[in-house]
Amino acid sequence: MGTFIQLVIDGLSTGSIYAALALAIVLVNQATGLVNFAQGGMAVLSAYIAWWFTGLGVPLILAILLSVAASFVFGALIERYLMRRFERGDPDTAVVVTIGLLTLITGLCGWLWTYNNQQFASLFSLDTVSVLGASVSIRSIGTIVVIVVMMGLLQALFIGTKLGLALRAVAVNPQSAAFSGLPVGRLLMVGWGLSAVLGAVAGALVAPQLSLTPGMMDNALVYALAAVILGGMSSPIGVVVAAWLIGVLENLAAVYVPFIGYDLKVAVPFILIFVVLIVRPQGLFGRKSVVRV
Amino acid sequence: MSVTSFFQKTWVRWALVIIVVVLLAVAPLMMSVLTNQTLARIGVFAVGVLGLNVVMGYAGQVSLGQIFFVGLGAYITAYGVLHDWNIVLVFLLACIGPAVVGLLIALAAARLGGLAIAMVTIALPIVGVPLAKRLGDLTGGSQGLSASFTAAPEWSGLANDQWQLYIVILITAIVFLLTRNLVRGRYGRAFAIVKGNEAVAGSMGISPYWYKVIAFTVASLIGGVAGFLYMAVVQFTSPETMSFAHSITLLASMVIGGAASIVGSLLGGAYYVLVPQLTNIVDPNATALLQGAILLIVLFVLPGGLVSLPRVVRRLLTRGRAGRSGRGPGHLQTTPTAAPDPSVAAEGTPTERQGHA
Repeated sequence: MGTFIQLVIDGLSTGSIYAALALAIVLVNQATGLVNFAQGGMAVLSAYIAWWFTGLGVPLILAILLSVAASFVFGALIERYLMRRFERGDPDTAVVVTIGLLTLITGLCGWLWTYNNQQFASLFSLDTVSVLGASVSIRSIGTIVVIVVMMGLLQALFIGTKLGLALRAVAVNPQSAAFSGLPVGRLLMVGWGLSAVLGAVAGALVAPQLSLTPGMMDNALVYALAAVILGGMSSPIGVVVAAWLIGVLENLAAVYVPFIGYDLKVAVPFILIFVVLIVRPQGLFGRKSVVRV
Repeated sequence: MSVTSFFQKTWVRWALVIIVVVLLAVAPLMMSVLTNQTLARIGVFAVGVLGLNVVMGYAGQVSLGQIFFVGLGAYITAYGVLHDWNIVLVFLLACIGPAVVGLLIALAAARLGGLAIAMVTIALPIVGVPLAKRLGDLTGGSQGLSASFTAAPEWSGLANDQWQLYIVILITAIVFLLTRNLVRGRYGRAFAIVKGNEAVAGSMGISPYWYKVIAFTVASLIGGVAGFLYMAVVQFTSPETMSFAHSITLLASMVIGGAASIVGSLLGGAYYVLVPQLTNIVDPNATALLQGAILLIVLFVLPGGLVSLPRVVRRLLTRGRAGRSGRGPGHLQTTPTAAPDPSVAAEGTPTERQGHA
């Protein structure tokens, strides 16, 4: 029983990382209709920036905050100078652009900081506490708490502020939003910036566990995409629930299903997807999208 | 007489075809071992890019998993050769195996609209690598499998590299010819409509679902052929063959060569083989960086890929000429914009042409 609880909480912790990345993808997708495959790459770059700051002697928490701020600017700039040109065009081309961006950013990290693993200090202590007879690491709990707080803040931003209202308006209908005087371009930049911030937090939280490499988030990106498919593109809550579900299930499967083990647990979300697809093609929580011809 | 109309004459086309065939037949005998090997590798990846082009360029479904089918074909070939199966049987299995797997994946993935196919297929290389390592009895684990079946037979008097290049040329030519016929015919037109607008396709009695499944299955089959050729030339496969990085490079090659273009697939194969060698010379650490930069630059400057380069250059030239002649009084501005470039109008993009046919 102790192992089980430990696995579930660790699963929720990794699931939170996927959830942050998946939310970033949904955020961009709702605003611009494209899927940003570079989201994981951008998160890795943010983690490298934080790591670089710590190398300069900046305290860890400050380094992470600095990298979060830098990520916001970086995300906004990518929207303005790279993606804007492709947003109104063929979505396939835009996707290829994000894949190019992923290659570019991964290559940049590898070129600047080599492909070797770098040690990234953990924000939380590695001690464990006893919960219901299971020893659970503080890091897992801390990760979950940070991500949940982030989501709460994001929700407050979207529901409670004028900026959030404007962002939602642009997501629903960019043309009408522009007609009512909203600066659509700048709001899209904010959307991309926010998604980069989500990724940056996820990157800083996951880097101590995986140790920093340019390809660190490749698997996390795959999980996040799986969560997006499972949860349904139109449902942020569904995506988060799906991400947690994936995190917990893959952890349990790795331990309790001998064939899967740790190396093949990446297959778990996709087995799940195939099952869900056959039953509910629009995702667990998504609405069926109706396109007007 | 313009250059275009010269190339459109029937006898010129046939003469070109004959020249190319003769060149392909003679060239392997003349060139160095290294050139032959490089050309053979280009052929292998041109087939891989061609498969990706069927599903992505022609049918408009982004697939990030094409390399998985190349790897699967390579593993099936290696396994068959190591167990001394008949080589024709091995070839057929290397085609059918990936096609069946592709069909099963497509049956589920095509239920998803839009970009979800991209999000599902990204899992193929990422799951494929640990899976190949796990199934060590079949795949040789991380060590991979070596299998050689393309030693030149005695009677031919050829060196191994020449014999391999001939095999690659023969199979590549057949695959390209068949694919060309597929995408120019009924299926190609259906793919173009599914790519253009699924609702319209549905209203014309073309099921977007089934045509996506067909495109994906054909792409997997061609990927399997590429895997067979890969074993014929490289004679070694490991989980690394189907890594995520290779999958991205394959996709970049397709876009850079030219989406929805047969010639573009060949250029894409050349890009896949040659450019990493070039970037390695520049700076081995910066390979990924340069590849990403090249991909983005091509998308910005030449969205149609390398294959559209002559067309773009010609358009720029004619526009320049029209601009100069149109500077006289009364012609202000109208000539350059109003006079459509005949070659562009006649050719259009390949997909558009299929849409009209």
